Amino acid sequence: MGSHANASGRHVLARFRARRILHAYLFIAPVIVLFGIFRVVPAIQTLLYSFYKVELLRGRFTFIGLDNFRTLLTDEIFQKAAVNTLVYVASIVPISAALGLILAVLFNTRFRFKEFFKAVYFAPMVTSTVAAAVVWWWMYNPQFGIFNVLLKLVGLPEQPWLMSSHMALPSIIIFSIWKTLGYNMIIYLAGLQAIPQQFYEAATIDGAGAIKRFWRISVPLLAPTTTFILIYNGILAFQVFDQVFVLTGGGPANSTNVVVLDLYRQAFERYNFGYAAAEAMVLFVFILGVTLLQYVYSKRFEVAY
Amino acid sequence: MSRSALVAIGKPPLVLAVSGVAILMILPFYWMVMTAFVPAPDIIAFPPKWIPSRLTLAHFAEAFAKAPWLAYYWNSFVVAVVSVGCSLLFGLFAGYAFAVYRFPLQNFFFLMILATLMVPVQVTSVALYILLARIGWVDTYLGILAPNFASAFGVFMIRQGIKAIPLDLIEAARMDGAGEARIVLTIIAPLIKTTLATVAMILFLGSWNDFLWPVIVINSQDLRTIPVGIALFKDPYGSMNYGPLMAATVISTGPMLLAYIVSQKFMIRGIALTGLKG
Amino acid sequence: MRASKVLAITLAILFLSPAIALAGAAKTTITLWYPAGDITAGAAHFADKTLFADFEAKNNVKVEAVALDYDTMIQKIFAAAAGKNIADILFIDTSWLPGFLKEEMLEPVADAKAKAWLAAVSPEIKELSDYGKGRMWGYPQYGIDVYGLTWNKDHFKEAGLDPEKPPKTWAEFREYAKKLTKRDAQGNITRVGYAIRHVGHPHGVVHKHFWAIYGAGAQLIDDPNALRGGKSMINTPGGKAALQLVLDMLDVDKSTSLNFPDPRAAFLKGIASMQISETVSIKARQPKEAPDLKWGMALPPVPKAGDKSVTLLGAWLYSVPKQAKNKAMAWKAIEWINSAEKDYELCKKYDASPRYKVNWDKEPFKSDAYDQGLKQLYPYGKKLPINLGLNGIMDAMGGAIQKVWHHEASVDAALADAERLANKAIADAAK
Repeated sequence: MGSHANASGRHVLARFRARRILHAYLFIAPVIVLFGIFRVVPAIQTLLYSFYKVELLRGRFTFIGLDNFRTLLTDEIFQKAAVNTLVYVASIVPISAALGLILAVLFNTRFRFKEFFKAVYFAPMVTSTVAAAVVWWWMYNPQFGIFNVLLKLVGLPEQPWLMSSHMALPSIIIFSIWKTLGYNMIIYLAGLQAIPQQFYEAATIDGAGAIKRFWRISVPLLAPTTTFILIYNGILAFQVFDQVFVLTGGGPANSTNVVVLDLYRQAFERYNFGYAAAEAMVLFVFILGVTLLQYVYSKRFEVAY
Repeated sequence: MSRSALVAIGKPPLVLAVSGVAILMILPFYWMVMTAFVPAPDIIAFPPKWIPSRLTLAHFAEAFAKAPWLAYYWNSFVVAVVSVGCSLLFGLFAGYAFAVYRFPLQNFFFLMILATLMVPVQVTSVALYILLARIGWVDTYLGILAPNFASAFGVFMIRQGIKAIPLDLIEAARMDGAGEARIVLTIIAPLIKTTLATVAMILFLGSWNDFLWPVIVINSQDLRTIPVGIALFKDPYGSMNYGPLMAATVISTGPMLLAYIVSQKFMIRGIALTGLKG
Repeated sequence: MRASKVLAITLAILFLSPAIALAGAAKTTITLWYPAGDITAGAAHFADKTLFADFEAKNNVKVEAVALDYDTMIQKIFAAAAGKNIADILFIDTSWLPGFLKEEMLEPVADAKAKAWLAAVSPEIKELSDYGKGRMWGYPQYGIDVYGLTWNKDHFKEAGLDPEKPPKTWAEFREYAKKLTKRDAQGNITRVGYAIRHVGHPHGVVHKHFWAIYGAGAQLIDDPNALRGGKSMINTPGGKAALQLVLDMLDVDKSTSLNFPDPRAAFLKGIASMQISETVSIKARQPKEAPDLKWGMALPPVPKAGDKSVTLLGAWLYSVPKQAKNKAMAWKAIEWINSAEKDYELCKKYDASPRYKVNWDKEPFKSDAYDQGLKQLYPYGKKLPINLGLNGIMDAMGGAIQKVWHHEASVDAALADAERLANKAIADAAK
């Protein structure tokens, strides 16, 4: 822009530009101010708190350097929470993406009631995690829940689900797959539909079968979609809280404790704000790592087709 | 792909697979509704009664007697409408500025906004709470709204939308003597209304289902949003009153599911669209 | 340009609205926070909006009782205290006291008032109120939690046991539990002889096994009344025996199960024949949830005949936070609702046991079988220690219990670990 100002003199142009800049600042002001106050400042404060022992009720802030982080390294409960979070991320992200891709391929064909089925698969996505988790909590009930009732009907042994420290985390992962599957499917479906038909036609002429076409054309051309799905789900998975809170509260024996839950407990139940801030920084580093991955990979995959 | 894949896979197994998984996907909804409407003894009957012998509203009566669901609705609604409205309005102007203008520190500000996407409220909740306490916003609508008055996602999406508009259109409007704010509201906004509707829908969903922040910032029962209300309704160690509990989940998820059934195409496409652009 | 003005005005309104929201409070309101749901029977009366009506009329105040989610209650109290936006009265679990005292959050009860209270109430209330030398942090609510063994009399009859004779020793307890357990054709347990609490908050897990830990001679900490310092006494033969007892019932006797819900719920649902928890919650919930259930209540069993039984005593306290805005009025309201007259009136209405000695001499309490039954349990009651490291101690012990019962660690390893963690918590809290 600005090309239309060529007719006027330099000072007119300058005044014009100054007005544009004023406009720009005026227009971004609400967002910048709101974000500055409610997002940026608290984020910086969190970073600062992580180096302090914070005793808020006494208004006392003691600088303790890296002590919070040193304690984190020896805190078995936090370690458990961090490991659980990593296991959660490492399971749900690829499983949900792979299932989403398979479903998308199935849905990229024509069959009856397709839109209906699509809507069914997507329904968990629009349901609140808390409400859905409450339903699943009841479904996982060892005596009367639907899962054990079904197992019993077919003569399989009943499972303890959330009551067992071995099965609780997988049970939460199953819930989360159910919750995110539809989203991944739809994203993959959109990706598939964006792939020009010519590629497939050319490959068919070359004699490639359906499976070969899938691996040779769909998978490589879906790489940007896959990157997006892995990173988007990865970032969200690191923040997992609602379903853990509702389904297990982190138990039994911390077997489903996750970083955000531990952070929440440390901050609001124990009032160890400095320590919780240090945990928040670890979480932030996890998320930052995934985001940097996105940056690197999205550069690499920015190939137009 | 469609025809050839169809030939390769064959239709019956495909439909079978799709509907088989669909049953698993829909099972929780079925189970929720069943438990909410059948009499208490039927809930724990074995073998289960897939088709209820009779329906009852008793669980709903109990759920309504135990918690003010209408007030929770109202709270969720107010919070969602205000946060979506503000985010759209502010996002429209900011998105326009970032898409159309060149100004000093532009990239800095844009990156600052995007960077907040990487710092979720989970990370900043403690500091944010104390900040709000100082300005008296704890336990108010404003407190719930504070981190949601503007949306980085919204700014980003709207900027992308505006970037797709030919600059000539804007230039033409300027030639006609339209002010910049008027251009944004009367020319740009209608042109990107699909983007705006999509952003609005996604933000509304996010706000409606948000849990962590409201549960931190609200103390009064009068201000609880629906997810907070439902989490409170579940008494983990206490009674085994599954009927009223599921009635409560029906109450809390019902409107959103109805909206979804009515406008599923729009919602699915919108969410898919954001996926591709993210 | 007009649109920019709209924008500016919107912003102005946005930032001014808290001021508008704050204006307009006229009559003094004092707030009281209590846990929602069935967490404690003692909170039931707060749902009655007229509870404070007389007090409100006399003092021209409004007392607003707000139910909080039990799961997030501690968090809210802390956060609100930091925000100087806390209730004037907190109705809190005694086991939370150390956490709050660590932050110096609670007002002590005035010495003269404490003295009068301690002189007027019965011994178990005195035990619960007095944290050394007459110091009080709040008034325990009526309907205190005394943990007791409850058993289903019909199940006993069905299993050929005398429905009036609960097990007295651990050996008997195991024997009975085995006889009471029922299985389906595939061998799945459909009813446990004894229901255990092994999930949820570590505090709750320890509470429900306190009887065995203390009964066998172990202790959470050596000096229960010391705020700072001390050492863990859980990695002892008694502690090991207490964990082994349930482990044997799980693995050897198969008379209990990890697949069952909360003991109280299981007991009321008729899928557990015995359980040990707050008797008051069975008492309060049974008429509604299991009207046909016939149950008995006794002291938890002891390791061997002749041992002294120990059981947990807990309560919810009316307390006043340091950051309360209307402290004087808050104490006045607390004293009013905890007066001898109100104690009698409310206990009668809500069918609870009174706290004042004078009220025990009145009907209906004097000849109430349940209340008199409780009187048999009270002398064996022990409250939780007050140590500032209690949260860490409970986490450590709760974790050990869960690890052992979930077969993730041996009894020895789990308790050695728990001892180390508990001592660390005690030392950290003392700093």
